[in-house]
Amino acid sequence: MTTTVTIHIDGVPYAVPDGMNLVDAARIYAGVEIPIFCYHPKMKPVGMCRMCLVDLGFEVRDRATGELALNPDGTPQVRWGRKLETGCTTTVRAGMYVRTRTEQVQEARRDVLEFLLSSHPLDCPVCDKGGECPLQNLTMRHGPGTSRMAYDDKLHLDKHVPLGDLIYLDRERCIQCARCVRFQDEVVGDDVLAFHERGRRLQIITTSTPGFDTYFSGNTTDICPVGALTTADFRFGARPWELTNVPSISPHGPVGENIALSMRLDRDSGGVQVIKRVIPRQNEDVNEIWISDKTRFGHHFTLSPDRLREALARKRGELTPVALDDALKAAAKALKEAGNSVGFIGGPMTSNEDFFALRELAAHVGSRKLGLWPATLGDAAPAAEVGIASGSRLTELGKGDAVLVVASDLEEEAPIWFLQAKQAADRGAALIVANLRETKLDRYASRTVRYGLGGAVGFLDGAASDETLAQAANLVVFVGNEGLGADEHGVLLRAAANLLITTGHAGRRNNGLIPVWPGANTQGGFDLGFESAATRAMLQSAPDVLIVVGADVAETPAGAAALDAAKFVIALSLFPDATTAKADVVLPIQSFAERDGTFTNAMRRVQRFYTAQGPVGESLPAWQVIGLLGQRLGMDRPRRSAALVMKALAESVKLYAGMSYPALAEAAVQTPPIGISPGFYGGTAAAPTGGTGLQWPSKAESRAKLSVTPVEAPQAVHAGAGELVIVPLRRLYDRAPEFFASAVMHGRIPQPFVALHPSDAARLGAVDGGRVKLSAGGASLDVTAVVDATAPEGLALLPQRLAPGAFPQEPVAGRVEPVAEAVAAD
Amino acid sequence: MLKDKYADRIEKIFAKYADKRSAVMSLLYLAQEEYGYVTEDACAEIAALIGTDPTQVRSIAGFYTMFREEPKGRYWLQVCTDLPCALRGADKFYEELLQELGIEDGGTTPDGMFTVEHVMCLAACDRAPMLQCNFHYHEHLDMDTMRALIAQWRAEAGVLAEAAAVGDAPAE
Ligand code: SF4
Ligand code: FES
Ligand code: FES
Repeated sequence: MTTTVTIHIDGVPYAVPDGMNLVDAARIYAGVEIPIFCYHPKMKPVGMCRMCLVDLGFEVRDRATGELALNPDGTPQVRWGRKLETGCTTTVRAGMYVRTRTEQVQEARRDVLEFLLSSHPLDCPVCDKGGECPLQNLTMRHGPGTSRMAYDDKLHLDKHVPLGDLIYLDRERCIQCARCVRFQDEVVGDDVLAFHERGRRLQIITTSTPGFDTYFSGNTTDICPVGALTTADFRFGARPWELTNVPSISPHGPVGENIALSMRLDRDSGGVQVIKRVIPRQNEDVNEIWISDKTRFGHHFTLSPDRLREALARKRGELTPVALDDALKAAAKALKEAGNSVGFIGGPMTSNEDFFALRELAAHVGSRKLGLWPATLGDAAPAAEVGIASGSRLTELGKGDAVLVVASDLEEEAPIWFLQAKQAADRGAALIVANLRETKLDRYASRTVRYGLGGAVGFLDGAASDETLAQAANLVVFVGNEGLGADEHGVLLRAAANLLITTGHAGRRNNGLIPVWPGANTQGGFDLGFESAATRAMLQSAPDVLIVVGADVAETPAGAAALDAAKFVIALSLFPDATTAKADVVLPIQSFAERDGTFTNAMRRVQRFYTAQGPVGESLPAWQVIGLLGQRLGMDRPRRSAALVMKALAESVKLYAGMSYPALAEAAVQTPPIGISPGFYGGTAAAPTGGTGLQWPSKAESRAKLSVTPVEAPQAVHAGAGELVIVPLRRLYDRAPEFFASAVMHGRIPQPFVALHPSDAARLGAVDGGRVKLSAGGASLDVTAVVDATAPEGLALLPQRLAPGAFPQEPVAGRVEPVAEAVAAD
Repeated sequence: MLKDKYADRIEKIFAKYADKRSAVMSLLYLAQEEYGYVTEDACAEIAALIGTDPTQVRSIAGFYTMFREEPKGRYWLQVCTDLPCALRGADKFYEELLQELGIEDGGTTPDGMFTVEHVMCLAACDRAPMLQCNFHYHEHLDMDTMRALIAQWRAEAGVLAEAAAVGDAPAE
């Protein structure tokens, strides 16, 4: 625990933690706002803008006796500094006196603002930031009312400088606070922004190749205290005061980034509420105030013209639009005939309410076939046992702690965890990254471990004897499934549990296992009894009726075959895809933006998202569609709201006991509070309104006795003569319709490719940039070869969901053959 | 590539610093000497040598006025017109110099021989008017001495050009 000291701010004593930043201490403990531009609590102070000048003094002590020197009236004597000092570079200590309201301080603020505005274009009426701009706000509060600067004396600079595809820079508006530069440097670790020239001409530049194209670039537009940085997506899109920020949760990936959807009635979209932008919502337990560019820009699918708008049913072999009732009738008929030979498969964006509705329907028909998509995941029980303890914060990991990442490319699979793991390493934590290939996180690792195909379990099984891990004060283990078969993934999770138990880390705060699941609600699916293994069983022998919710099962050959084998397929989907094409009844469902619901992130935090826009076409929330189907089979009418579904869920699922919508809507206090309101720190992150969610405790936390289960690695896939093992990879930017609908991202989504080691490429006659055909398990894909020295020999690394066509999603032996390029006829 | 051509010099430069990144200024001088100005490729080369990002190298080149970021004349004249020099007539001298060469502030003569800029204090206020030509100071100037210098530089350049033509450039 840090010790507490007493400081005086404007004559009032406050107890504050010793060594805290003065700006933060004043804001948090005294409610005193020392105005700032460059300081940001997520980055080191630099003292660049001088906005935070305060009068600083110290109590005087007698040198000989150490006694406080007193004024005649008995008050302590204070020696004030001769000049003002920057609050943001001052840390508090005992005996400190601060004055923030003297005439001198006010004059300094006025002067700094006048200076900053001397070359500012004052184009607030057309500026995206106008209305939520720290420069505007602080000028109103502290600035001079008028300028002494002749407008013609202003220096004019470029106003539309693209920094990469997604971010535009307005050089005139920049106030040179370096927040963006420091974000790239300190937070992201990608030094591609810097200042050029000096004085009034100081400008942000990037001359790197590739330029400013990290997965986090949008965050700079949030923290920029002026409108100098704007996104290609939102630029000139709306005025902040027209926007209503609706709390939500990212539907992309396992982190569960807390976000707000900035909504506006939009004429161009036919006068309906639309998402104009996505901003982070502060949750220090989850994503702090950062979101990935996928979350920020990947919202366009919600209003994509490709969305399913009406129910479809097969008529004379053709899928034909029908009334919802007729579609439900046909589906119910098939279900009645099937008895209990019914299987259920839920995909990555399926909410807890939807899973619960499926579970109730399954119980009603007497089926226990509850499947989760993708079918590639192992048993999740270890995560429930030793999953990261409730209340843990990755932001607290540092010196003496260890972070172990196994079989995951965190940057691609969970960008926010990449940032947090990297920053833990920056703070001194040991970061060990183990994978079968090089990933970006290796750059920040204190140690990297390279194992061969099938070697992950062996490595993790032996890790308990590793001093760094065994002796770490806190240990967090991320486990992904890159390069693993489904069973191997389950064994690897078990090995991670063994490690945490053996080294005594299980069940303690800031310790535990974080499974890097593929979906926003994969964890919720597991919690409600859905399993990837059950899906695999259904793919082996298909039930009579398959109900598929938000899962493109046909993206694998086995899945496609199962859809063919089932007598009747009911697909609930956002988009028409290969799966709906094989379905007998297709029912349109709503996206996360059109309905209430909850997702459980991979740290077991159950989080609410709220209705932000109207339904697309005749779509309904999946839980309601399932309920209507159940009603036709004799169940009660569907519940009237998502809240009631959650109520029933919490009553029947023990892990979720007490997780009512009102409880989930409670917001934990965020320190320091960085939201738009109260707005003190500047920037467009939303306050935690709408709730910060609740975590269910892992078994280890309840002091249950945990035992180590010996593990054995299953046989690894072997490539036969002339074959390679094709290893599917998860990439952040893919061509799944939920992301590809964002046209603004197209420039960043790669063409379908496979990465090959130079020696394999040479042996196979594949050239860099040439076309190759991959074939395995009866499926084939046509992609571009990328010769990559970091690809392990003998493996073909295949990013998923780039090429159209079904392909296995687990490592598989297959052929890679160059395709003769068709010679263009003239 | 600097790395191949000046391997020895680069090694000596690195030997002077505990951290390779500290060598960035010396390497920028080297690049400027080699290419005439700090080219985009030079920034990338230097970044690779010291293990940083090219943007960071460009940023440093941009901060300091002694690095040229665009091709300039062979003789780069930086005339101080700051207040103390101005009091000794430097601003008038500067105007006359521009007229003599027939160019504008910051311009380059059509033959690529001279670039003329005005700069802030060069710490030779007592010897104004003064200028810095390719990092050498010329002080107590008036237009007569200046004309002589211009003629001298033109002659020198002629010699250099001839020597280059026969493949035998004299050492600097
Ligand atoms: S662009 Fe914005 S964040 Fe970057 S230095 Fe300028 S004002 Fe600061
Ligand atoms: S100098 Fe303190 S906030 Fe900028
Ligand atoms: S003012 Fe010209 S050299 Fe100092």
